[in-house]
Amino acid sequence: MKAFTDLILKIGRVDRRWIFLVLAIVVFIPILTPIGMPIRATVTTKVVYDAIENLPPNSKVLVSVEYSPSTKPENHPMTISILRHLFKNDHKVFVTCLWPDGQFMAQDALKQVADEEFGKIYGEDYVFLGFRPGNEAVVKGIVSNIRKLYTVDVYQTKVDEIPLMKDVNKFSDFAFLFTSSAGYPGTIEWVQYAADPTGVPISSGVTSIQVNEVMPYVQSGQMQGVLAGMPGAAEYEALIDQKGSATSGMDAQSIAHLVIVLFIILGNAAFFIERKHSKKY
Amino acid sequence: MSMTAILGAWIAVFLTLGIFSYLYKDNPFYKIAEHLFVGISAGYWTSIFFWTQIQPNLFGRLWPSSEFSTDSFWYTIYNGLGYLSSSVFPEGGIDKGHDMHLIYLLPMALGIMMLLSLIPKINWFARWGIAYTVGMAAGLRAYGYLNSNVIGQIKGTAASFADPNLPFFSLTSPSIFNSIVILVGTITGLLYFYFSKEHKGLLGKVSKVGIYFLMISFGASFGFAVMGRISLLIGRFVDLIKYSGSEYLNATVWVLVIMIIILGYDAFKGSGKGTTVSEDAV
Repeated sequence: MKAFTDLILKIGRVDRRWIFLVLAIVVFIPILTPIGMPIRATVTTKVVYDAIENLPPNSKVLVSVEYSPSTKPENHPMTISILRHLFKNDHKVFVTCLWPDGQFMAQDALKQVADEEFGKIYGEDYVFLGFRPGNEAVVKGIVSNIRKLYTVDVYQTKVDEIPLMKDVNKFSDFAFLFTSSAGYPGTIEWVQYAADPTGVPISSGVTSIQVNEVMPYVQSGQMQGVLAGMPGAAEYEALIDQKGSATSGMDAQSIAHLVIVLFIILGNAAFFIERKHSKKY
Repeated sequence: MSMTAILGAWIAVFLTLGIFSYLYKDNPFYKIAEHLFVGISAGYWTSIFFWTQIQPNLFGRLWPSSEFSTDSFWYTIYNGLGYLSSSVFPEGGIDKGHDMHLIYLLPMALGIMMLLSLIPKINWFARWGIAYTVGMAAGLRAYGYLNSNVIGQIKGTAASFADPNLPFFSLTSPSIFNSIVILVGTITGLLYFYFSKEHKGLLGKVSKVGIYFLMISFGASFGFAVMGRISLLIGRFVDLIKYSGSEYLNATVWVLVIMIIILGYDAFKGSGKGTTVSEDAV
């Protein structure tokens, strides 16, 4: 027993760089050799899927991109899956960004999905309005008069000359909003300044860190579901039956979690044994 | 594969491994990556803000092409500015679909006042701009929070009790039991932050229940934070694996080996003055 407690204490005192190394290894190996662990959609993901699935054909959907390359592994698969779902169901997509870097992320996703996979026509099937600085003021601007805020699209074409922008004047002209968000400004601002005041349904894909912040809006019905981090993106990929980068990362994610749980148990065990020893002496 | 793509891959690999190298200890590779990130981010944001807001939405409203006239004094000033930069002030006015709105001189003046904070003698001008921003943001946020976070959340917490179709218990979907848990959590959590009375007796017991709810919430936040960080690590590893291929001239392998040799040599010579991560935490 003493040998065991000594071992636990020794593990508790290990240099944290060894822990980093172990984590790097357990993340690295499943990426190289995937196991293919099963992915089942959670309720919150299914609600997002159903909300989009139940939209009438040719609905006008606003997709707002609020993330940068730093959270690309979590947000980008969501954006791609949502665009695939929207274009598959022949909806009209309008893309805005509250983050400057979001413009490049959106451009990348649109190029892949709208242009290469679905061959959609710019200006008729989708419009890329791009980034405007101003955080929640931009959301308020889109709600009151989108044309005042966006006189030109991202390619500097006047919105009056874009066929799809006909009859689009304010936020309530959209049937649905999906925001792919990594922080401020993002999902919460869209709920507070756009969805709640107008009643336009909103769903969101958020980074894992944000899940706790936005979950109250989901529980209260202010949001229709949420895609929670990389697992949420992987679940959505499973629902639309098109696997992508989120699915391939889930093996590494699951194994890394198990290892972290093990470290937490060992760390706590070492802490309590040490405390017991210090009380004894 | 084009040389630009290969060069981009090498830079990406160097910067990723440079940042990761901090896990070993503070070192010049990390410093280079950190400083480049800060500098490039600042430059990128400035450029994007200027070309998406100041040029089209401010200058575009002050000197729109739709009202351009060579006889106008206002556009004579514009032409003068055009000599400074023809890309910002193109010939014939700015064509971004705006009409002329001279009221936008006010936000321009406030913006210039903000920049005057760089000059110590007249930096008090900046307070006017800041005052406007603070007032506007406070007003805007007060409404949003009151409507969505207070009224919306109270409605969401209470509404479920009135629904006769709800089951009493369900783990994954709304139920009366879940509504009771939310209600108890909300009330006890709020009472924990009630400091006008000492937390003794009934209030003490109730607020202790609130602490448990808060601890569960912090635990969930921590779990999600871990999940998020692992996701980002996976993203970087996927890129590193991709860039280790021969089409990128084995960028990951070479950069990793060179970094390990240099950091190893530095550690061997004992000249590394960087702080280890473990020491940072002490």
